[in-house]
Amino acid sequence: MTKLFALLAILLAGTTIFYGFTQQSALVLRQEQQNNHWVRHDTRTSGSYRGGIWVASPTRQTYGGFRGGGPGAGK
Amino acid sequence: MSSPKTQRTAKFLDSFTYLTLLSTAGIFACLLVSPIFMRSLVSKTIQVDPDVPEQLPPIQLKKEPIGALRIDVNAAIPENHWVTYEIQLKDQQGQVIASGIKQAWNESGTWAEEGESGTWAEDDLTGGLDVRPTQAELVTITLNILEYSDISGKEIDQPVPFEISVVNGAVDTRYLWTGIIGTAFLAFLAILVTPFSGKVIIDKFIGDSDISGRGILGGTNNLVRVSVNIKSDEHSPPVLNVLVVINDGNGEQLYSDSHRIYLSLNKSEGGKVTGANGKLSSFFILEPRGSYGFHVEVTPDATVDRTEIIVREHCKTLFPVSVTSLKSIQ
Repeated sequence: MTKLFALLAILLAGTTIFYGFTQQSALVLRQEQQNNHWVRHDTRTSGSYRGGIWVASPTRQTYGGFRGGGPGAGK
Repeated sequence: MSSPKTQRTAKFLDSFTYLTLLSTAGIFACLLVSPIFMRSLVSKTIQVDPDVPEQLPPIQLKKEPIGALRIDVNAAIPENHWVTYEIQLKDQQGQVIASGIKQAWNESGTWAEEGESGTWAEDDLTGGLDVRPTQAELVTITLNILEYSDISGKEIDQPVPFEISVVNGAVDTRYLWTGIIGTAFLAFLAILVTPFSGKVIIDKFIGDSDISGRGILGGTNNLVRVSVNIKSDEHSPPVLNVLVVINDGNGEQLYSDSHRIYLSLNKSEGGKVTGANGKLSSFFILEPRGSYGFHVEVTPDATVDRTEIIVREHCKTLFPVSVTSLKSIQ
């Protein structure tokens, strides 16, 4: 049983250290596939790559709907 | 009966449990060393006018094995204001090659609930983008305010100060924290199950104070754990004596020793004792492998409701333990 836990822990440690240090979560410049992109500080990308060129997303125009956050939001 | 030899040993420590703990420590060590890869490129405050993009000096990037280019931006806006800003990366031709939008806000107010009231202030002002270059190139970071207003939605045409920090070689510590939490959980599970390691050879209980069992077990380097679990009623004394006797296949007595165990009392809400539990664990090396009988007697027996004996072999331990070596002459 503890053998299994140790194996899982080593796999998890190896994976998270690899992913952390090689920054798998970062936006990879000029690459269409962004499988591991993990948004930081709730900052969403406002576009994506089409054939290596950054194309602004159509929803970029909708930011004007922002009405703040906080406890008052949604009340 | 030759006198049994008891020795404290770390020989049967569960190395896998320690390996699990070591992985947690390993990730934590990586977390501590991760800042040494970071090189600060920009750290300053700039004023940005709404709809007038502000550029930073170009930065030379190249593909690197460790870390990414991290852009962190913090908008310094007054209370009850919103700002939507965009971080852009441009190449040498001025083409946008990446961009991210942050909707930042800083709000405060008052609350009243069930006769109580107070003030609250919350904000979410920091935006961040991590990018990994795939080739060597010169990039320019641009900051652009898309919308700046107060909470009534009225647009404001005033510059906003932004604290910008650009760092190269930034490691994503969110993965490391995930790893630390995950492996710590596994280590916790490993610590929990280690006392139950090994193969159960005898598991018997009786609604009384005396119990016996026999099984084929033992051999070289085979740690045998004898566990006794006792349930005692509300009149229980705080201490009970547990006599453990081990006989070999010929009925020859190899070991007989009395252990004092302190009970943990179960109390009702009023503080009245409702019962008590006691546990005893003893470790043995029994040689050669063969048939061994185990006998347990709990005294004084008047209050004992239940006695259970569990004998396991090929056990591992969490800490060094005292092990009694017994040899049967057969």
